[in-house]
Amino acid sequence: MDKLKVGFYNFSGCAGCLLTIINCEDNLLDIFNSADVVSFLMAKSDNIEEKLDIAFIDGSITTNEQEEFLKELRARTQKIVCLGTCSCYGGLQAMEFGKGNWQKRFQKVYGTKPFTVVQAFESQPADAFVPVDFYIPGCPIDADLFLYNYARLLKGLPVDFPKTPVCIECKWRENECLLLKDIMCLGPITASGCKARCPSVNLPCVGCFGPADEGNLTSEFNLLKEKSFNASDIERKLRIFGGTKFIKNLKAKLVSKSIH
Amino acid sequence: MEKNIKTNQIRIPAVARVEGHGNVLVEVQRGKLKNVKLNIPEGPRLFETLVINKTPSEVVNIVPRICAICSVSHRYAAIRALERALNINESKGTHLLRTLMHYGEMIESHSLHAFVLALPDFLGYPSAIAMVDKFAPQVLKALKLKKFGNEVMQVVTGRWTHGENPTVGGFGAIPSHQELIALKKQSEELISDAEELVEVMRNLHYPTSMEDGMVFMCLKPPTEKYGFVGNSVLISTGEEHPIEKYKELTNERIVAHSTAKRCRYNDKPFVVGALARMNLLGERLHGKAANCFKRCYSLSWIRNPLYANLAQAIEILFCLEEIPQIVDELIKREHILKTETTIKEPSIKTGKDVGAVEAPRGTLYHYYEVTRGFVTNANMVIPTTQNLDAIENHLRVAAQNLIGNITQKEKKHELELILAMIVRSYDPCISCSVHLVDLGSA
Repeated sequence: MDKLKVGFYNFSGCAGCLLTIINCEDNLLDIFNSADVVSFLMAKSDNIEEKLDIAFIDGSITTNEQEEFLKELRARTQKIVCLGTCSCYGGLQAMEFGKGNWQKRFQKVYGTKPFTVVQAFESQPADAFVPVDFYIPGCPIDADLFLYNYARLLKGLPVDFPKTPVCIECKWRENECLLLKDIMCLGPITASGCKARCPSVNLPCVGCFGPADEGNLTSEFNLLKEKSFNASDIERKLRIFGGTKFIKNLKAKLVSKSIH
Repeated sequence: MEKNIKTNQIRIPAVARVEGHGNVLVEVQRGKLKNVKLNIPEGPRLFETLVINKTPSEVVNIVPRICAICSVSHRYAAIRALERALNINESKGTHLLRTLMHYGEMIESHSLHAFVLALPDFLGYPSAIAMVDKFAPQVLKALKLKKFGNEVMQVVTGRWTHGENPTVGGFGAIPSHQELIALKKQSEELISDAEELVEVMRNLHYPTSMEDGMVFMCLKPPTEKYGFVGNSVLISTGEEHPIEKYKELTNERIVAHSTAKRCRYNDKPFVVGALARMNLLGERLHGKAANCFKRCYSLSWIRNPLYANLAQAIEILFCLEEIPQIVDELIKREHILKTETTIKEPSIKTGKDVGAVEAPRGTLYHYYEVTRGFVTNANMVIPTTQNLDAIENHLRVAAQNLIGNITQKEKKHELELILAMIVRSYDPCISCSVHLVDLGSA
């Protein structure tokens, strides 16, 4: 059987998810040999843009050029896989999403000079523009979860990403719960897969894998309020890595009433 | 990758094997060089506005995401700035652990750049993976070094990239005795591999068509040793200035052909990064790194940016020789390490200051104003921004020298390769260039 044709693409982000792949030093040759890697601009210069079986996307969409390229990529690709919190949920550059202040912030950094060709807009996830097949969030992604799912995808299987929150992995590591010490930890509502790295070094989860499917936002919010954190501090913290998904969850839940 | 748009234009639409997106445009009219541009079409993320109204510890969660490859340096620069602003003194143990994580990043980033991204050009390959057929031992050694750099960051920061353990005031947790000993042992074992790779880089053929005099800048380490942090800046003109003058030193400005901010000092381009550090501080090296430096250094190092790749290889060796000593010092104070690295809360909630570190690709400044516990103003001056004018200058010189007969396919290909090699040699980190956006002038 012919090897599947795959491509790795970087939009707006820190490139940490693609770097995580290059950081799999022991598996790097296997990653390149088990598929036909036709495009990976960060790692090689003999790139070809053609029909793909799988495209991996790192970074959020912030310019019209990126939007056009993403649509063109979608048209010639079987499966699109979002890697990391930026492509999945807009990333931390979407933390102000829904506030309507992007234009003002843009002008603060770049001035009011008009743009001629590239038009920029507030960071959005890939699925705001095209259908996405699979999501592997993380800031950056976890290397083991990537390798596991890369192998699955090459065998034609769907991505298997945990639906549980960080607390599950935190318990496995037998950490003392930081919420019991009145520290604002986002573990209960954040997607696991990171091996509970931050609570394992006595620091609270900052939510960098984005909201967990099974997380109970209402309950976390009320718990933090009971612990005397104020609503604006909680929302600020939730927004940093929650991106557009946090806003969606917020709108869908009763908790929005208690925040606003 | 390299495409021909018009006979009088050479365009490299997306420079490969760099972090982020950049493109080079050379315009030639009737055999004369008309224009050389390095454009950056990276999407804006507005980090300066994202850190506003955040607490200092939140800022330290946010800023490493400016760029994964320099994430430890961004974290460290922010910590230094915020601790200076809020009068927090760095304990000896905290300093040692921070130095260790910083060396981890240098080893990882330099191994990635010098051997995986830059070396394939010199040997005529599209990637390091493609080199495996003929250069398997070298590629595997390079990957081993890179992996060790990541291992150091994993142990000290909690993750290869964006580990949250180092924060304002100290560390959430300290590495175990066994982890530290393992780092020391691995570091010692890798020294001979690093020496071998320095030799590989030394024996390459370095094209000279882009050579032109350079002005260098780097931080001055506080001791007599070589190093990557400091509170003053050395310039190859012989000057020394405190980092508080970072704005005057870098003079960020907007140029007409792009809104990409650029930097100049005394109206001249300047260079930061491993080549600058070697030129300004190389005499401070000791041990095997010093021997390599003496063997490799020549006057070409002040004119040819491609030697940055060799300078990075020597810096890897320097870090590997330093790590066992840092581990020994940490182990000597293991009985107090937990206490002295415990996160210190600031006693004041308002203040402002600048902090700087050498990122792998050059001097990185972070500046914050904190008012009643929240950041109210911020500025970051990034190595790649500082190098852009110098990169463009070398691109211009190379194009000028190689422009004859570019109608011949072979000559044109040679020029395209040299232009890409120049950009790559600066190890540009385009995600880092948070200010940059392209006007689409190309």
